[in-house]
Amino acid sequence: MSTVAASIKYNGKVVDFPLANPAENEIADEVLHENLARPTTERTKRLKARCRWKHAAAGEFVDAEVRAGIERMRYITEAHKASAGQPEVIRRALGLANILNKSTLVLQQDEFIIGYHAEDPEMFPLYPELAYMAVQDYLMSDYSPQPKDEAAEINEYWKKYSMQAKGERYFTQEELLQMYQVSTMEAPGFATGYNSISPPYETVLQDGLLKRIESAKEKIEHAKKEMQKIPWNATTGLDWIARIDVWKAMIIADEAVINWARRHARLAKIVAENFETNPARKEELLEIAEISQRVPAEPCKGLKDAFQSKWYTYLICHAIDRYASGYAQKEDEMLEPYYNISVKEKSFQPMTHTDVVEMVEMERLKISEHGAGKSRAYREIFPGSNDLFILTIGGTKPGYVDACSDMTDAILEGARNIRTTEPSIVFRWHPVGREKTKRLVFECIRDGLGYPSIKHDVIGTEQLKYYSQFSKNSNGATDEEAHYWGLVLCMSPGVCGRRKTHKTRSEGGGSIFPAKMMEIVLADGFDWSYSGMQLGPHTGDPTTFKTFELLWEAFRTQYAYAISKVIRAKDIMRYFESKFLQMPFVSSIDDGCMELGVDAMELSEQPNGWHNPITTVVAANSLVAVKKLIYDEKKYTMAQLVTALHANWHGYEDMRQDFLNAPKWGNDDDYADAIIKDFYEDIIGGEMAKITNYSGGPVLPVGQAVGLYMEIGSRTGPTPDGRFGGDAGDDGGISPYMGTDKKGPTAVLKSVSKVQKNQKANLLNQRLSVPIMRSVHGFNIWKSYMDAWEQLNIDHVQFNCVSTAEMKAAQKEPEKHQDLIVRVSGFSARFVDIPTYGQNTIIARNEQAFGADDLQYLNTQL
Amino acid sequence: MTTCKNCSFYFAVPEDAGDFEAGKGDCVLEREDAKGKYWLSKPTKNDSASCKAFKKA
Ligand code: SF4
Repeated sequence: MSTVAASIKYNGKVVDFPLANPAENEIADEVLHENLARPTTERTKRLKARCRWKHAAAGEFVDAEVRAGIERMRYITEAHKASAGQPEVIRRALGLANILNKSTLVLQQDEFIIGYHAEDPEMFPLYPELAYMAVQDYLMSDYSPQPKDEAAEINEYWKKYSMQAKGERYFTQEELLQMYQVSTMEAPGFATGYNSISPPYETVLQDGLLKRIESAKEKIEHAKKEMQKIPWNATTGLDWIARIDVWKAMIIADEAVINWARRHARLAKIVAENFETNPARKEELLEIAEISQRVPAEPCKGLKDAFQSKWYTYLICHAIDRYASGYAQKEDEMLEPYYNISVKEKSFQPMTHTDVVEMVEMERLKISEHGAGKSRAYREIFPGSNDLFILTIGGTKPGYVDACSDMTDAILEGARNIRTTEPSIVFRWHPVGREKTKRLVFECIRDGLGYPSIKHDVIGTEQLKYYSQFSKNSNGATDEEAHYWGLVLCMSPGVCGRRKTHKTRSEGGGSIFPAKMMEIVLADGFDWSYSGMQLGPHTGDPTTFKTFELLWEAFRTQYAYAISKVIRAKDIMRYFESKFLQMPFVSSIDDGCMELGVDAMELSEQPNGWHNPITTVVAANSLVAVKKLIYDEKKYTMAQLVTALHANWHGYEDMRQDFLNAPKWGNDDDYADAIIKDFYEDIIGGEMAKITNYSGGPVLPVGQAVGLYMEIGSRTGPTPDGRFGGDAGDDGGISPYMGTDKKGPTAVLKSVSKVQKNQKANLLNQRLSVPIMRSVHGFNIWKSYMDAWEQLNIDHVQFNCVSTAEMKAAQKEPEKHQDLIVRVSGFSARFVDIPTYGQNTIIARNEQAFGADDLQYLNTQL
Repeated sequence: MTTCKNCSFYFAVPEDAGDFEAGKGDCVLEREDAKGKYWLSKPTKNDSASCKAFKKA
């Protein structure tokens, strides 16, 4: 039997909470999620049943068949050797062309959107030119590419050319060692190869690549004429050389992509005519062939074209030319014109709304089996998932006009019906957003998917306008462009569309860990609990800090040291990316790169700098406890605290209880919140904002934890918030520490709303009561909560809606709970694929019920 | 010596294709595992020595 929420007295009435769907009364709490999937068609049911998931748990792939392929690394290396002496940007284009021309293509039974990035559907590619250490890790694992000797030789070849070899030269040995600890700072991108991008899909869908090739050819013609002008002027004339090479590289890349897509067309036709026996599928394969012959070469004419063209573009930008996590796109607005052609006008590729939902489900399953050749460290931080895949919907058009459409609804319906962990969805919330769509958002959340996560539409839009003022070429986002945004990864808005999108991680992404900094501030910058080395500057013996302000300033010094170093590492990486890791295909589909003849790795028009503080709340709660117990009440001395921490609190339990019971973030507590607000705004955001990055703008914090709150927790010694060494950090960016928000959901909102200055984004995880959300009042309560959240000007919120009973049942019998999905941090994961340590951090989050006081504050109409 | 040209899995690249080269073809093989059927296409040359999967056309 399902649990029903207890009745409450509200506004003088007794309110009962019967389930919205009475049939659920018969479903036990422990198995609810196994009863929610309802794939729209028999085809998507089959595709889900046979999906080749690439989930990792504790850094290991869950499916034993998953392994690395060798083709990509083989062909990029072959091309690199053969192209020695040519301009670097041309070499990059030839590398991509060689991969696309020679790689094995995959076509699977039942699929309609086709294309894969490795030579077998169980494989994923590797990128020795990005990070030889990541490849080395694979060579030593069960997932090694075969033949292993060849792979090892290729990896050895790239060492001297690698980004790591280039980037490391500009750091001291001490600095490198500090970064490679990954305890106060994330390791530099030139060592990990981790990357993210927002491809300008729209140019491919709207123009087609043939038109892009034409543009590049015209540009070259124009450049040649300019160079021939008399009298010769070297101060302008020589600039054309590099630009001509960039345009030539674009042509090479685009022609290769067209040929590759058309090889897929041939494959589908050959299978239809020589292998397939089912007449209906035969016909479908011929339609698939026709689509891949047309796109991405030509503009999309209908919705099927658009899904396919987008998929090919995704594969090139995220997986074949270079690895990049994410699934950044404003999918509903991008596809809406094609939805209208195919569903409303039925003038090309006619289909019903239900057919579109099926397409959405098929796209989700393609992403679910997309493998990423990430390093082990990056597999560990996304437990229970493949990688980060996040698409954006909802929001507004210029003038704050609702941008939701029937395409938005189809995306939500598909996600709700098929139930996959990825891709995650972000919904941009604005009061004008239509209720029909918001109900679908609610249904996904209520069904426990953990997404859509919600972003504040106005904050995101205004932020992009703010950044545009720092544009190096005075061509930042216009009002219209600022409205067309999607999240680049989990949390940070970035421009989508034809121009000015995020091209590489040097702009944003990467982490810094305040909890560990708190620990070393109390040890003169020394890491006594994990690495045994000096991780930051000497900020003094904490027992000599006579005032809280001295402790505060010591923290600031440690933080400023680390943040400058990590941004410097990203910008040095960007410098070398623009010289050796150009992306001619991406450049060809960006209007700015095309117009100016500048590679996408070099051109920056819209600054959008950010970095992710992870475990901020552990540090913040620690500062509150120290201020209260040592400096205000003087109950303990700093020396006593340092001694207790070095003993991991053993023998000091009463003292630990005092520190644990000191005021905590998320309870609308004035004492704690005043300190923590300052901490976020003055140090976490304030020190970061002093930095100017490659793009000429400030860097702002995007607090979001991915799975790193577990990793970093395990590397962080005991902290003054009463936490034991090794315990997990806080799981969001601004979320209360798990289990410490005891005053209900609206107290959390009030605390979080106090932090406003110097922030870019902050992740707020909340766990909602399943019986209340599944009751007849679920939507009204949630909607009033969301409206209050919007009015409080909070940037983000996301929800788990899963019972403790079901999570505990899944821990006992994982095989029976394959459809149980939870929100970890910026991503959702299959619960049973998360290590127990991580599962327990989710169970420990407070399940927020809504009492009469909360409903009164929210002015909920029941 | 048997070559790809005589194999039933060899499909010559049409002359109007962007990647056309004389003697170039697609080798298309059907595979099946626990998760279903799939097809692989790899470029080959008609005069390449045949492989273990060769099947007379
Ligand atoms: S490679 Fe083997 S299977 Fe393929 S066409 Fe040649 S002989 Fe046939």
